[in-house]
Amino acid sequence: MKTLRFDRRSIMRGVLRGGAAVALGIPTLDMFLDGNGAALANGRPMPVRFGTYFWGLGLTDTPQGTRWVPTKTGHGYEITPELESIRALKDKVSVFSGFRAIGDGKPNLVHWSGLAAIASGSAPGATNTMDSPSFDTIVADAIGQSTRFRSLDMSASGKPLSNSTYTGKAFATPEVSPLALYERLFGDGFQDPNNPDWKPDSRVMLRQSVLSAVKDQRDALAADVGKADRIKLDQYYTSVREMEKQLALQLEKPEYNAACLIPEKPEADKRGASIEVVNENSKTMARLLAMALVCNQTRVFNFVHTAGASETYLAGDSKIYHQYSHDEPTDAKLGYQINTSRLAGAVMQGFGDFLTELDAVEEGDRTVLDNSIIMAYSDTGYAKIHSLENIPMLLAGGAGGRHKAGQHIHTTGEPVTRVSLTAMQLAGAPVGEFGMGAMKTSSAVTEVLA
Amino acid sequence: MIGRRPIAVLTAALSGIAAGGVLAEPAGAPETVGWTRTYVIEWYEPAMYYGADGGVISPGTDCPGGTHPSPDWVKVLMDAGYTREEAEWLRNPANPTRSAVHGQPGMAFRGKDRANVYDFPATATEAGLTPVSGTIARGLDLDDDPQTGFTSPDGGKGVDNNFYKALGCWKTYRGPPRMSSGAQGQNDGMREGAWTIVVVVSGSGADPMNDENVEVGFFHSRDKIVRDAMGNVARDYTFRIKPHERQEAIFRGETRDGVITARGVGNVVLRNPGADPELPLLGSRLELEMAPDGRLTGLIGGYRPWLPVYKGWIAGRGAVIEVLTWVEMPDVWYALRRYADYSPSGPGGEKSYISFALTVDAIPAFVMEPDGARQVARVKSYRVQAAPAAQRTDAAIARAHTHLTGGNVE
Amino acid sequence: MTKLVQGVRKYGLLAAAACAASGAMITHARLPAASPTLEGPVKVAARRVTESQYRNIIADTFGDWVQVNARFEPERRQDGLLAIGSTQLSITPVGFEQYYGAARSISDQVLSEGRRATTVPCTPRDAEQADDACAATFLRSYGERLFRRPLTEAQIDARLATARKGEDFYDGLELALTSLLIAPEFLFRIEVAEPDPSGAARLDGFTKASRIAFLMWDTGPDAELLAAAKSGALDTPEGLQRQVARLQASPRLADGVRAFFTDMLQLDAFEGLTKDASIYPKFSQTVADSAREETLRTVVDQLVTRNRDYRDLFVTRETWLNRSLAAVYKVPFVSQEEWAPYTFPEESGRSGLLTQVTFLSLFSHPGSSSPTKRGVKLYEIFFAQPTPDPPADVDFSKVQASSEGTVRMRLIEHMTNEGCAACHSVSDPVGLALEHFDSLGQVRMLEDGKPIDVSAVLNGKQVSGAQGVGQFMRDNPRVPATLVRNIYYYGVGRGFDERDETFFEQEAQAFAAAGYKVPALFGQIATSPYFMKVVIPSGAKPVPARPEQVATRHSADSRRGAAR
Repeated sequence: MKTLRFDRRSIMRGVLRGGAAVALGIPTLDMFLDGNGAALANGRPMPVRFGTYFWGLGLTDTPQGTRWVPTKTGHGYEITPELESIRALKDKVSVFSGFRAIGDGKPNLVHWSGLAAIASGSAPGATNTMDSPSFDTIVADAIGQSTRFRSLDMSASGKPLSNSTYTGKAFATPEVSPLALYERLFGDGFQDPNNPDWKPDSRVMLRQSVLSAVKDQRDALAADVGKADRIKLDQYYTSVREMEKQLALQLEKPEYNAACLIPEKPEADKRGASIEVVNENSKTMARLLAMALVCNQTRVFNFVHTAGASETYLAGDSKIYHQYSHDEPTDAKLGYQINTSRLAGAVMQGFGDFLTELDAVEEGDRTVLDNSIIMAYSDTGYAKIHSLENIPMLLAGGAGGRHKAGQHIHTTGEPVTRVSLTAMQLAGAPVGEFGMGAMKTSSAVTEVLA
Repeated sequence: MIGRRPIAVLTAALSGIAAGGVLAEPAGAPETVGWTRTYVIEWYEPAMYYGADGGVISPGTDCPGGTHPSPDWVKVLMDAGYTREEAEWLRNPANPTRSAVHGQPGMAFRGKDRANVYDFPATATEAGLTPVSGTIARGLDLDDDPQTGFTSPDGGKGVDNNFYKALGCWKTYRGPPRMSSGAQGQNDGMREGAWTIVVVVSGSGADPMNDENVEVGFFHSRDKIVRDAMGNVARDYTFRIKPHERQEAIFRGETRDGVITARGVGNVVLRNPGADPELPLLGSRLELEMAPDGRLTGLIGGYRPWLPVYKGWIAGRGAVIEVLTWVEMPDVWYALRRYADYSPSGPGGEKSYISFALTVDAIPAFVMEPDGARQVARVKSYRVQAAPAAQRTDAAIARAHTHLTGGNVE
Repeated sequence: MTKLVQGVRKYGLLAAAACAASGAMITHARLPAASPTLEGPVKVAARRVTESQYRNIIADTFGDWVQVNARFEPERRQDGLLAIGSTQLSITPVGFEQYYGAARSISDQVLSEGRRATTVPCTPRDAEQADDACAATFLRSYGERLFRRPLTEAQIDARLATARKGEDFYDGLELALTSLLIAPEFLFRIEVAEPDPSGAARLDGFTKASRIAFLMWDTGPDAELLAAAKSGALDTPEGLQRQVARLQASPRLADGVRAFFTDMLQLDAFEGLTKDASIYPKFSQTVADSAREETLRTVVDQLVTRNRDYRDLFVTRETWLNRSLAAVYKVPFVSQEEWAPYTFPEESGRSGLLTQVTFLSLFSHPGSSSPTKRGVKLYEIFFAQPTPDPPADVDFSKVQASSEGTVRMRLIEHMTNEGCAACHSVSDPVGLALEHFDSLGQVRMLEDGKPIDVSAVLNGKQVSGAQGVGQFMRDNPRVPATLVRNIYYYGVGRGFDERDETFFEQEAQAFAAAGYKVPALFGQIATSPYFMKVVIPSGAKPVPARPEQVATRHSADSRRGAAR
């Protein structure tokens, strides 16, 4: 599996930069000796994969009670109604409650500030921008360099939504259809590691030369541009380099990988924003993603289930989720919004299904989920009032054994960035500190770190 | 690019006829028509009454033995004089006779002296297609005699539908509404655009619900049916009449409380939702309700020639139909001949026609004159405007059949 | 209310106080500062070309037989326009993959065996070998159209080096062409300022040519415009005027108008628009595509083909239909053509753009209409007046309404609640007046069996239904003023600047005086010196000019000679 070359420079840089007690991904002797699924046939460890999973409108946590925060903390937390979908996998999922996004005097940009705080470490000044790169890009820089795609972006509700940004202004372009995702992953340019007749395509070298003419002109082009345009051109040239890397990989024979099986092509795309359609798309995309991870197409992914002000709905119902979350009265007897909570459960079903697909694919004794760390998060706590407190976050997957999963961690008002930092460290990114202002933190949630 | 045609003011000419809606009298129109409603047929099928509670082949009051079971084909062939070895060879899928392209020609030669039973059904011994033994049927009283025929599901007397009697237990037709394989196959073909039938209803009175002078016309349209997001036929689409030399039907009658009763005028020929694409009806009449939700639903009945029904099925691929629909084709011929109940030449003549009814479901649509320039204002014949239609030959039937079913009658 | 004030300040004069409870309004627009001076050329902007621009340039350069099969990256809206937001966008790795794939496919088509005889303007000495002279001729001629300015020698040399790597001449040429098609100079509109003879900054001729071509035709400059840029004609008011008049008189102005209204009317929202199939079974991708086309046909027919008063767009009952749309509108389709003009009857209740399926369905929920959404978008699109997000801390318990009753009853709660009223009292009345149209734009008079009240008070005047709203729009001077503002920002690709207000006021007056004719307005804005105003971005400074910046005809010829 040739994609598993260690980028020593980035590891060293990490040590110098943060020096945090992070597993840096250097293979230990144990791992070399392990022949049972924690390591590859050639002795190198299974790569840890990092993913983000976003859904809109949080979960229901009312003053009268809660539909999602378990009462028990630590291991063996109980399954609450809106977490029903993760019941079967709960030992592989840690639940984080009571964390909050701190605005530092910035306005609460509804359905944006919360997610931006988690992803970029600070509350931004304007909707649809972030003040720093999103955390997945930091992880991708650290662990995504050797794969065909540095990261993979997907959106299940038909709209091109992504919270992933290098510049804070331009966001990644996600795949919005399972069929397109399939084509991108397993269509033209896919190197089947199990093809016995593999030989390098001489045309690839010619394609590289096409890029070099563009690169030759970089200095002349960038010499007299303004600051903002320079950032744009830098991003453009980063994209050119990504393409070069993809081409370079096509010239190297991929290592034999028995677990890598080209998945079945999805059927024609289903359009629609109803929760049934979104969840079905989530499931199909997760199925393709699982194999993309096994086949080493990427090690980092971002998945958006629904938008912040979620427009999903139960088929046949004229009201969308966002409208329910604000309009629906709280049931006096039950103490929560009945339809809103039902929708929250349906939305989380998408997450349960997503994890189930990743857990269904085995790599040795473990599953893809065991070798991944996925941070799921939302934009608000209690959506009815756009609360930035108690935004639900979950860490799913074993991170190759680094994650002491299956715990409920509760705090009262600690910054959300602590969980983001924890996720990055579990993924093996050399990061010791994350966030800005009141959300700056260097303390990961050590309870879940092995 | 943008056309430069000036926008014509069309509204004046059009005001009035809403799809399925009531026509306000057009100002200055020479031919005063009280009202017009227009529709497109979204489903129609031979009227069958399914007497079981569930399933589509379960025993019921109509067919106490359930749907007529599949013959034992090896036995059928041995009865026709083949040895067991020969019969099994003919039935063996590995042998070329079962080729999907070539059908099973070997299966055909089981008549007397190895005659082709599809072409000469009388050369086969009748094994017997179970007829309907129940007393309830859907359909109309065609002979104005309440003493003859079935009882309708809601208790009406004198329902004449011997087509149902003869073939109602055959797998092709048996099932609840819209569930039999025959109905589904044919309507699917129509809904996928193979043909379109529009319905025009017009009356001279002020109240469409109660009008003594009403006409109903059935015409082909050149425009295809459009399916909506739920897979149903979409309402309110526009259809231009396509004049057809033969297939056109006009009925005249009245409405009472929104129910139209009318009798066929002149030469009534419908586009048949069956293997035989043409449905001429004698002694035809209809009973259709203009429902509050805008739909037009009910029955058209009449006597149809029965031999083309049989020919329609065998002209496709007799052997395939036999196997897939659990019937020996000659039995269909025998059954139709046995229950045929009408002679065009008078009571003493050969009974070449059989009583029959179609259930019809139509939804609101806009129907235009053939040139597309105006909505139709009243029911009238377009036959004279038609280009000569193809002669009605067995080959044409076969083509239509294959086209409609894709060879799959299930 | 911090956000509210921000919103008003950001949008300046045109964002009148309707939504602003604080009433803050900036009325003192300053005149623009005098042009900066420059010592040499400097790049003042790099704007990603849009999908339609990309497609148009390819068709113009090679012929409309070339298939462009690519998925373009989403654009971003800012201050009401994609043209403003997208100036901040670059090309992500995913986007580059797509451009790269498209470039390979286009080069392959252009240089296919069947086409090369006509697409390559010279014959190589030996088709099995590289031929620098012929390749340079090819690259120079197509490169100028693709880059919208002549290529530098360095740009050509880099491609010649690529071309030499090909397996034969045409293979090499294909690689070189691919390289042009993925170049930033093609994918971005790189705008250059230069010193005029007095040293004052001005946009160079090629930048001017691109600005007017992209604004008026939604494509790069044609050969005549490039020639006018080269000769310096565009640096004179007369020369510029002549070219603008030519573009304005051309049928291709319709492309420019289409592209502009696609942006302003937010027709990109059709991407991913869904409706609940059980509630709106007639909705389909065909209906969505048709609705978009209906709106654009109406706009072009009214404003360009027939040169009508822009304001009539809000009251006309004339539109264009195809068979699918006719079914949605429940009217007969009276034509043998695919599209036909249609005039709604007075009693249809319809009135112009706001009552087309486009506006009504885009700004609704999947299963129901949304008066608030429609109201918010109406003010955003036609008044450049954005509505701030609801305050995060609003106490929704005060507006908890039962699910019974009409939407109006629920929204009245918003309008009487202090935290909500500032905005909902603006957006909702106009939206409620459109309530006779459901989420797909179909007429409905009842909701839950109760008659829908479509009365509203707009600007102190009692109106009823969509026709009342249409008349309100027709009569409101801020509606045409907003169009002026939007065309300007669309053309220059900059965000709102309050210093532009005086210019807008003058242009809006001229637009009114000329009878609100849109083709003339495009020309008026394109010829205004303000349209070519130079804004030097921070951090940009000229580099000393090198001797060989632009390949001249002379050097090109001498190279060809040398190659022989």
